Amino acid sequence: MQILICVKQVPDDSIEIRLDNKTKMPNLNGVSMVANAFDTYALEMAVRFMEANGGNVSVLNVGAEDSTNTLKNCLAVGAKEAYFVQDDSFVNLDALGAADALANAIRKIENDKGQKFDLILCGLESTDEITGQVGAMLAEKLETGFVSRAIAFNVKDGDLQVNQETEEGYNVVSVISPAVVTVSKPEYDPRYPTIKTKMASRKAVIPTFSAAEIGEVKQAIVRLVEYVEPPKREAGIKIQEKDAVLAVSAAIEQMKKDKAI
Amino acid sequence: MKALLYIETSGDKVLGGSVELISAVKAIDAEGTALVIGNKVAAGTVASFGIPVIYTDSVATDNDTLTEVLFEIVKGENPDMLLFANTALSKDVAPRIAARMNFGCVSDVIGMSKNDGKVMYTRPAYGGTIFERIEVEGASVVTVRGGSFSKPEAAANAEITEKNVQIPANAIKAKIVDVVKEISESVNLEEAQVIVAGGRGMGSAENFELVKELARVLGGVVGATRPPIEDGWISRAHQVGQSGKVVAPKLYIACGISGATQHTSGISGSDYIVAINKDEDAPIFEIANLAIVGDVTEILKGMIEEMKKVKAE
Ligand SMILES: Cc1cc2nc3c(=O)[nH]c(=O)nc-3n(C[C@H](O)[C@H](O)[C@H](O)COP(=O)(O)OP(=O)(O)OC[C@H]3O[C@@H](n4cnc5c(N)ncnc54)[C@H](O)[C@@H]3O)c2cc1C
Repeated sequence: MQILICVKQVPDDSIEIRLDNKTKMPNLNGVSMVANAFDTYALEMAVRFMEANGGNVSVLNVGAEDSTNTLKNCLAVGAKEAYFVQDDSFVNLDALGAADALANAIRKIENDKGQKFDLILCGLESTDEITGQVGAMLAEKLETGFVSRAIAFNVKDGDLQVNQETEEGYNVVSVISPAVVTVSKPEYDPRYPTIKTKMASRKAVIPTFSAAEIGEVKQAIVRLVEYVEPPKREAGIKIQEKDAVLAVSAAIEQMKKDKAI
Repeated sequence: MKALLYIETSGDKVLGGSVELISAVKAIDAEGTALVIGNKVAAGTVASFGIPVIYTDSVATDNDTLTEVLFEIVKGENPDMLLFANTALSKDVAPRIAARMNFGCVSDVIGMSKNDGKVMYTRPAYGGTIFERIEVEGASVVTVRGGSFSKPEAAANAEITEKNVQIPANAIKAKIVDVVKEISESVNLEEAQVIVAGGRGMGSAENFELVKELARVLGGVVGATRPPIEDGWISRAHQVGQSGKVVAPKLYIACGISGATQHTSGISGSDYIVAINKDEDAPIFEIANLAIVGDVTEILKGMIEEMKKVKAE
């Protein structure tokens, strides 16, 4: 199976991003750019499938910023090929624009390779904007089937089957290939690169295209007007009793006073 | 401005978050029409809030069919906005309609206001530490976070119009072939008034029982961060946060939880937050109304006993 993972480059989500007081923009000083967490789950899922069944796993990023490093990190954890479409006109892409650019890039890669992807994976959502729109929109643009919230996938009797996370467990969904599938957190964590795979990925050559080489850029219809600070919650009361019994009775008194119980 | 409100149903029941959309469109003076698919009783319930309802008889048990039904109705009605409650279902369907209609899509909206005829949407980004204010050129598809608007009040019954939609066979590309239930308990975190949630700081499955016990004493629902779920102390249905449930209880007690934004983004709608943590600098304390510094197992044991007394009073 030929699998492609669309990878977004985002600020490291283990660091809390706040608004810069002067610029009123998210302060990304000293925050490294990494592959979106959900995309790394998708990559791990695909690489495990490839290791068990053969086939090929590629990764694709479209964006305005240099993402070579992020893509190389994907190669170091099992992707075989990486593609990059970099263009300054992608700075203000909205989700529809991103889905359009991805669809164009996918068609171009498929043409160049003379081979179609059977499965296209996206993370459920990105950890920066958290819109969760791109995967579903990409399926529409490519006119393929779509399944959201995958926690596993398999091929059974030639059919693509996706386990879709639900409230109570999961649905087994049979979907016509090619399909776009968004990935939630599976039971396992993504692997780490080894020194050897890291060294090898550093030497990799990543085919890079401009927007003009893949298609046209559509103007964003969803526009960010401004970033604002969330309203602050009032600083609360702190109980620092060494004795747990005293701490509990102080807490209960306070909760009663605040009419919380 | 014309708004179409998709009402999510479960059996005859109308999803709480969906009826809040009625208040959301009032806030921007839009003319709202509700859309109910496949459940006549639910259509009646919605009409009793005084909002006209379009009802279609289609059975949309899969998302491809639902997308198709919505697409056909949106094409026919030509609204300026299509609103959804922000649920797993709408996260799947809303962006597909947006792409098909070339409407701008705004997810997880927590506020809307109208300025010079244009709607300004507010939504959290970066795990809720930053809010975005967004405008859309042309028509939009919007998913609204539950608890962001009030529940509407009963009014004179409005009209229900029936519409038929034909689904072409090739519209269905994905089919559910099996439903696997691993979790039998029903966990209604979204509508809970009291939530007692445990984190990695609970230390073990055994200690996590204290969280459940306090929830039981308070008549509340158990919540959890991701680590206790991954460690198998409690099922995934209890996860609160960015990839779990967004909650808005009157009382939220966070036990052994550090306060990572992926968790706190889901609890900021709580009226009153109590946090128990041994680390006096834990980030959770920054959003807690009441911060208790101490060992969570000891505090919980004491609290369970004291709360029993309070409840008996
Ligand atoms: C893409 C993505 C999505 C995510 N989505 C979610 C989500 O939806 N929900 C979610 O919760 N997480 C989510 N996470 C995980 C999240 O980033 C944090 O890892 C998680 O919330 C931390 O859980 P915690 O607070 O229980 O654990 P920790 O951060 O490990 O904190 C444990 C706390 O317990 C305290 N403690 C330890 N022992 C004691 C004791 N004896 N007494 C008192 N206090 C004690 C410690 O001081 C510490 O503050 C997500 C992560 C990613 C990358």
